Amino acid sequence: MPDTETTPRRRPGRDRHLLALRIRKISLFAMLGLGAFVMLFPFAWTVITSITPGAGLSSPTLIPEEPGFDAYRTLLDTLPFWRIMANSLVIAVAATLLQLLTSAMAAYAFARLEFPGRNALFVVYLATLMVPMQVLVVPLFIQMRTFNLVDTYAALIAPSIASAFGVFLLRQAVAQVPRELDEAAIIDGAGHIRVFTMVILPLIRPALATFAVLAFMSSWNSFLWPLVIIRSPEFMTLPLGLSTLHGQFTTAWDVVMAGSVVSIIPIAVLYLAAQKYVIQGVARSGLK
Amino acid sequence: MTAPLTQAAPARIAPGPPARPRRRLRKAGTVVLFLAPSFVPLAMFTLAPMVGSLWVALHDWNLISPMQWVGLDNFGDLIGDSNTWRAFGNTLYYIAGYLPLVFAGGLAAALALNTALRGRSVFRAAYFLPVVTSWVVVALVWKWLLNPSSGVVNEVLGAIGIDGPGWWTDPVWAMPSVILASAWKDVGFVMVILLAGLQSIPAEYYDAARVDGASTWKRFRHVTLPLLSPSSFFVVVISLINGFQVFDQVFVMTGGGPAGSTEVVVQQIYDLTFRYGRAGDASALSWLLFAVVLIVTAVQVRIQRRWVTYA
Amino acid sequence: MRRQLTIGVAVAASTLMLAACSQGSATRSSSGDDESDRVTVRYMEFSSNNGNEDNLASIVEAFEADNPDIEVIVETTPYDDYFTRLQTAVAGNTEADAFELNYENFVTYAESGALAELSGVDEGAYTPSLLEAFQYDGAQVGLPESFSDVVLFYNKELFAEAGLDEPSADWTWEDQLAAAEALTDTDEGVFGLYQPATFHEFYKVLAQAGGEFFTADGSAVAFDSPAGLEAARWLVEKPGTVMPTEADGAGTPDFDTELFRSGNLAMWHTGIWMFGPLADTPFEWDIVVEPGNATQASAMFTNGVVVSAGSDHPEEAQRWLEYLTSSDAMVDTRLEAGWELPPIADTDKLAPYLDQTPPANRDAVFEALEETVLPPVISSQQEMQDAVTEELGEAAAGRKDVEDALADAADRVNALLN
Repeated sequence: MPDTETTPRRRPGRDRHLLALRIRKISLFAMLGLGAFVMLFPFAWTVITSITPGAGLSSPTLIPEEPGFDAYRTLLDTLPFWRIMANSLVIAVAATLLQLLTSAMAAYAFARLEFPGRNALFVVYLATLMVPMQVLVVPLFIQMRTFNLVDTYAALIAPSIASAFGVFLLRQAVAQVPRELDEAAIIDGAGHIRVFTMVILPLIRPALATFAVLAFMSSWNSFLWPLVIIRSPEFMTLPLGLSTLHGQFTTAWDVVMAGSVVSIIPIAVLYLAAQKYVIQGVARSGLK
Repeated sequence: MTAPLTQAAPARIAPGPPARPRRRLRKAGTVVLFLAPSFVPLAMFTLAPMVGSLWVALHDWNLISPMQWVGLDNFGDLIGDSNTWRAFGNTLYYIAGYLPLVFAGGLAAALALNTALRGRSVFRAAYFLPVVTSWVVVALVWKWLLNPSSGVVNEVLGAIGIDGPGWWTDPVWAMPSVILASAWKDVGFVMVILLAGLQSIPAEYYDAARVDGASTWKRFRHVTLPLLSPSSFFVVVISLINGFQVFDQVFVMTGGGPAGSTEVVVQQIYDLTFRYGRAGDASALSWLLFAVVLIVTAVQVRIQRRWVTYA
Repeated sequence: MRRQLTIGVAVAASTLMLAACSQGSATRSSSGDDESDRVTVRYMEFSSNNGNEDNLASIVEAFEADNPDIEVIVETTPYDDYFTRLQTAVAGNTEADAFELNYENFVTYAESGALAELSGVDEGAYTPSLLEAFQYDGAQVGLPESFSDVVLFYNKELFAEAGLDEPSADWTWEDQLAAAEALTDTDEGVFGLYQPATFHEFYKVLAQAGGEFFTADGSAVAFDSPAGLEAARWLVEKPGTVMPTEADGAGTPDFDTELFRSGNLAMWHTGIWMFGPLADTPFEWDIVVEPGNATQASAMFTNGVVVSAGSDHPEEAQRWLEYLTSSDAMVDTRLEAGWELPPIADTDKLAPYLDQTPPANRDAVFEALEETVLPPVISSQQEMQDAVTEELGEAAAGRKDVEDALADAADRVNALLN
């Protein structure tokens, strides 16, 4: 690189190189743009349907004739909207924070602590992901009844205190942190808890932020478990509320789509916020 | 709950040098401290219901009448039922198509969006949106795009002289339709995980490679790929576990049809439990599924040393 | 050290949280039977969801005014999710004191002993055939709550434009098909009729063709007969000619409703529950009893209500259900709201229903009741319905011969009977 600067004769080559680079960048941009269009399309259609009064699903409208926000008003009127939003938010935030804590700790144990049966135990963790919720829901329900937890916030949150998915995701992130960093800290006299909180956690921020989004999303969208465990309207979550918009015989699809848009927004906002940490993570690890 | 740890502990002591018992105790204490917060809830709220479902699998039960003990009959019936094998076959077909597509797509998106590109975060958000959008909406849009007679895809194919297939209305093409829609929806999921992995690769590794005069390809091959392998390993293992449990998209796109060509294992489990009043069969089936997924995953954990590089 | 402590506390908190919460709920549930003498009756149901919640609430209010010792708590779930929730609740013995069941699912619950026998029911209050529908083994274990039937809806304007006579009560399949062919204009996206090849259409057209679904003793299917074949053919041969196919959009949620509403469907076999959703269509439409073939037969659906065998307050629960199914307050509310029809014997009370329009020919709703057929019911109900629908669908898509599809459906249903 330095010699290109010093020899003027190389300049045409450098220009050509820059041009090639620019073309590559533009074509990359164009491809990404096309991809983004394909990716955005269903969401855009959701939004459009939500502002098309009386919209149907069989012949999709792309440009509504008389756009209006009636569907959103209906949504607010027919559902105890703010109540169910608040329920979903409280549960999703609690589940996310708990999972971040429990998963990060377990991830550290699996990636950094030596103990017998570590791989076997890790597979036991993964095994909890391998039985579909559809068959677990009944035994879990009966268990909750014996704990006297049916129809409570606690029952909604309990199954998402820990997440093997999160343990695995964060274990991979911890394993990517160069060991020299914690060894240096240990030489300085730090214990495991100190290494975990002061060295590891800051360095796996991209993974933590990513997991936070995914954990929040899975709690936010969870349907089957809240459906069976909750019966009082005051504990109703957003997906349960939105499902009541479906009639046995007919459905107002513009209202359903408005509900869909509203339920996407919080996750999208969280995702954008989390992006900042993902990018910051780079800057920090780059400095080390 | 600490049984796997404490029981296994003495086995380790024997071959090792005689360590001081107090240090060992402290070490075990550290392990318990870090693992208990996740292990206790998992044991209570997932492992225990799993044992419960194993108990259910040994009974005939429609959820409303009392359970009837049948021993291993449910397993025998399932193994002799051609529907079981068809469901497993369809599920494997799904995975075989879905996994390469979603991984390649997610990796390409992550690499492209890991560069210093203008509007990068807008693109990232756009690619993540399908992950967030509900399957009901996504399925409708894809069924519309892939409509055999009026869909955009077949119209484009027709313009270049290809007679488009019947997609989700044709038993041969229904599964490819489901795979396509699923891969499209999950590309953003793979992307965010790989992006987090890419972001964790220290910049000095690239600087060092550049100083050594490594080409873009070589940097990708010798820096990016190995250092991304822990994240890639995660994506492969999780996508397989999730792939074996594919359900939502099938439920809303094809309902298992046409002619059972997209009937997958978890769809059967759902039908058996909540629609057909055969919770015992459903539990037995899910334990067959569990056995398959466990073996596949255990093998992957075993062979990860061959391709996964940890720091 | 302090940091260590913080984490320790956090860990303890997360694991102990449950204990704390369970204590909280223990006090919560014990407050259920509170100081007053009011008995709480929980009632699970689906039919008020998405539009009739307020109507049900007003019936509850009227009941509580008459019965100050009882408090009714309604738990509404959308139909699609109702049975998932109900079954789980029954499995965990936490089902409500009283709950709603449609006729098709009633037998499964009655057979399993989940329902309490009702005593002292005022039998004269109900239409006898509906009351009978909720008997099991000679015992009254449920009460009819509402009923509805299926008629032929038609777009008067499309018939006028084509210069055709409107459907009449004496039409046969042949008349209907001839009209449908004349009305279909696929280039314009107009279809003659819509009648999907499903279980719920099949048992009805089977009856119209003069066939039986099961043998008299119910031990085997009887639809693998010439009449069964005729019925299956009638359903299977219409898609792609006078009826839209899957590729045209059939199967998309609410596809048929939208097609009719947009004025592109001439004739539609559907239930009287569509009166409300179609009230504001910009064109004129009416109804008529469905065309028969060998004989007339109209599909009737009915929902019932039951008392759980595990209820602590079966008497109070029954009192609520009797009020819900036979009181004048209920009749008034239902008729005023155009909610499904009440199952009462005194049909004079239904007079206000006939005065409403559209459709003009509301009498057809009651004419249809003269020759009705209820869905065939077995304990593996859903599995039977799926098998029949799937086989007919294969034939409709042209992947199977009608004969083979019908034979396979018969085998599959027979297998469920043993």
